Amino acid sequence: MSRWRQSVVEIQTRKRQVNECERAQATLSKVTACFQQMATSLGSNMDGNFLREELEETRTVAHKICSGLHRRLLSLLIEMEQGQEDKEQVERLWVIFLSSLENFQQDLKKIKVLQEIFPLTQRKDRQALINAGYAGGTSEVAARAAMVQTPWLSIEETASPDLKNHIVEIDVLLEEMFQRVNVPLWSVEPTQQAWLEGVSTQDGGQEEDESLEDIMEVEVVSQNNTSGCCNHHNCKVGCLLCLLS
Amino acid sequence: MTIRNVRDHGQRYRPRMACLKKVENVVLEMQDPKTGVKSQTQRLVITTIPHAITGEDIVAWIANRFKTDAAEARAMGTMMVAFGYIYPLQDHKRLILKPDTSLYRFQTPYFWPAQQWLVEDTDYAIYLAKRNIRKKGMLELYEQEQYNNLYKWMNHKWDFIVMQAKEQYRAGKERKKPDRVVFDCQERAYWVVHRPPPGTVSAMDYGHDRMVDPNMEEVKVCIMFIQQCIMRPRVKSSVSIGALIKYTTTYKEHDPFLHTCLPSSPWITDDVTYWTLNMPNVETPTKMRVERWTFSFGELLMDPRGRADFRLFLKKEFSGENLAFWEACEDLKWGAAETMKEKAQQIYKTFLARGAPRWINIDGKTMDITVKGLAHPHRYVLDAAQTHIYMLMKKDSYGRYLKSPVFKETQKKAVAPESHRFTRRPSLSPIILRQQEEEQKAKLAASGPVDITQLCRFTAPVPHLAVYTGICEAQSTASPGLMTLPNSAACPSPISVAIDSTPASERRFDGNGGPSSSHFPSIAEASVSEEEKQPPAPKSRMALSLSRLLRRGCNAPSVFASLSPKCAVASGGGKVQPLGVEPLAQPQPRRIANFFQIKVDIPPECRIYPIDSEDEEDDSADTARGGVKEIICPWETVTKQDGAG
Repeated sequence: MSRWRQSVVEIQTRKRQVNECERAQATLSKVTACFQQMATSLGSNMDGNFLREELEETRTVAHKICSGLHRRLLSLLIEMEQGQEDKEQVERLWVIFLSSLENFQQDLKKIKVLQEIFPLTQRKDRQALINAGYAGGTSEVAARAAMVQTPWLSIEETASPDLKNHIVEIDVLLEEMFQRVNVPLWSVEPTQQAWLEGVSTQDGGQEEDESLEDIMEVEVVSQNNTSGCCNHHNCKVGCLLCLLS
Repeated sequence: MTIRNVRDHGQRYRPRMACLKKVENVVLEMQDPKTGVKSQTQRLVITTIPHAITGEDIVAWIANRFKTDAAEARAMGTMMVAFGYIYPLQDHKRLILKPDTSLYRFQTPYFWPAQQWLVEDTDYAIYLAKRNIRKKGMLELYEQEQYNNLYKWMNHKWDFIVMQAKEQYRAGKERKKPDRVVFDCQERAYWVVHRPPPGTVSAMDYGHDRMVDPNMEEVKVCIMFIQQCIMRPRVKSSVSIGALIKYTTTYKEHDPFLHTCLPSSPWITDDVTYWTLNMPNVETPTKMRVERWTFSFGELLMDPRGRADFRLFLKKEFSGENLAFWEACEDLKWGAAETMKEKAQQIYKTFLARGAPRWINIDGKTMDITVKGLAHPHRYVLDAAQTHIYMLMKKDSYGRYLKSPVFKETQKKAVAPESHRFTRRPSLSPIILRQQEEEQKAKLAASGPVDITQLCRFTAPVPHLAVYTGICEAQSTASPGLMTLPNSAACPSPISVAIDSTPASERRFDGNGGPSSSHFPSIAEASVSEEEKQPPAPKSRMALSLSRLLRRGCNAPSVFASLSPKCAVASGGGKVQPLGVEPLAQPQPRRIANFFQIKVDIPPECRIYPIDSEDEEDDSADTARGGVKEIICPWETVTKQDGAG
């Protein structure tokens, strides 16, 4: 009797752990997506120390989630026996986690290079920033990333590495994952069917987005009015109160 | 999971992408608020977006910066657009720079093309999924195709892709409206560059990837070798053509094809005076030959008669050791390997050592190299010294030789043969010769068998001919047993030895093969065994078909093979009957008697073997093929004999 109870407890624990991992994966996706959105501003006219700090914070959060998720998934997979019902689910999680790690690492490499190209240490570096057309910042995105909560209750303090070491660390993680767990990656079946994501309605407010082409086309009409109030190239003010003329 | 692509896509492997760095620098320069490109605000319905630039401004800036003309600047601008550093706001699929008021914007550095890494398909899949979310399935055709492909290929991580696409989409919505528009434009432009729509040319085509790291040792060696090949000295074509013209002008009259050779070309007139006059060591050379010596020093040396003349001259000048040394070096270079060491030592003692009897005068450096090399002598160890001496002779002695009395004497004595006045008189055509032969044979045949014991002067040197002459004679004298060669005594053993020693497959019966003294049949068999194991059985009715066959030629193994089933072999297997199985009852039939008819160049009057008419047909058929020595295989004759062979 107690054995049966024990196994039930085990199953429940396991289920909980798996759910935890799923939630963690979801948050990881969120964080990396926000990270990418912020990274696109690097080197543009909105670049600044503020942006870089936000990037750092987001990266730390991502790192925390990554390491925790890695540990848990690894233990789940190692102790998993053949024929367990959630084996497929765990394997799928495994593959998703691997892919997101790789994706994240790519982003990290990119921003490392970009930060080298645009060092921002001196004043004249600001002039080299690309006028990419951004007007606002990415604080909202950063806030979104900061709002995530790690699903596990225990707080593990792991030292957050700097950018270069982080990239290397991910390499190590990936290699370890490949070696320690024998999951045939190609055998994982996705739950998502093709084209389905476009079908379901998402968060409303899509009307404006689908008209990106429309938005861009309108400007053909308004070609004659492309300059500011005056012809001075620094004048971005479209009003009569421009003092630069 | 992506297969971990650890290949480095950096400059080593994609060398053509090295220009990206330079373009980046130019783009950075363009940003300068004072000296950069003028920027404007783009007015849209819902908002305005700054930092729009017109095409003409870009062109003007480039032209000014690099001091080029407008066309060049436009080309460069187009390149920048094609690489994705600037993207068009209208007509976003065509990546060209229009030098008018069309608007462009700079691409954010995150979306710049990079040399170090390839653009991943995972990212493209996420982008397509995002687009799908936004446009609810209304993608362009090529995008739909790509989507389907990626779905198939990346099926196992599709969950990740969709999840990431959704999250990115949501993250993007957090931004303010104008920035969202900008970001979407940027992303769209990025993928137009890196996944171009079908039918467009992509600037990211950089040619072949290097599959090998050029810093690896083996590759380095290869690269070095090829570079050396490229660096080989080349000659301008004008120079080499000039040399060719000079050569042909000089040698024009000396070429027997282009100019009549005196007295006449032996190939045409059959008169070998020309050859005899130009023998290697003739006493008096021809004038043309002497003239050739004046062309170059090499010509003089290569001609034995010229070299002899030169040697004479040098002897008179007491500087013959140079030529002797040169000749000794040649001997070393071209000589046998066993004697090389001794030769080298000998040369050293004679010419190079201090106080040598024929010491040659070469400079210190060359002497050094040579002496060092002589410690380990090889064929070319004296090459440097030889070249030095050659040059010495060429520059110094040659000139003096040409002015010397020796040479002038030779020149005066040189023969200038007149050209032959007679018309072309070729030798008789083989056909005519053959006809004459046949007439002779007919005459001889009519006059009865010939006494083969009489060796005429044409048969003695060709002893085996005696074997084939007049078998009829043998029949009358020999026992029905072995057919002994009547002239076997005269037939020297070398022939039989030769025949016995050469394996059957090598025996070519073009005048050399022949039955040894007691093995007519076996030789005959051997000749057959080249082609087929079972000789045709001796049946008289086979003989006719065989003779027909033989007229078609002897070398048809398949023919023989086809014969074999029909042949009932008289006695077991390939063994040939000895001659004496059936007594030679009947008298010599008309057509017999020659084992191998070998055509040799004997004047018709000396043919002594009887040739009958039927064989003549064979002969003529053969000679019509050019008079080549052919064997008419002896089966037909042997069968007539008695089952032998």
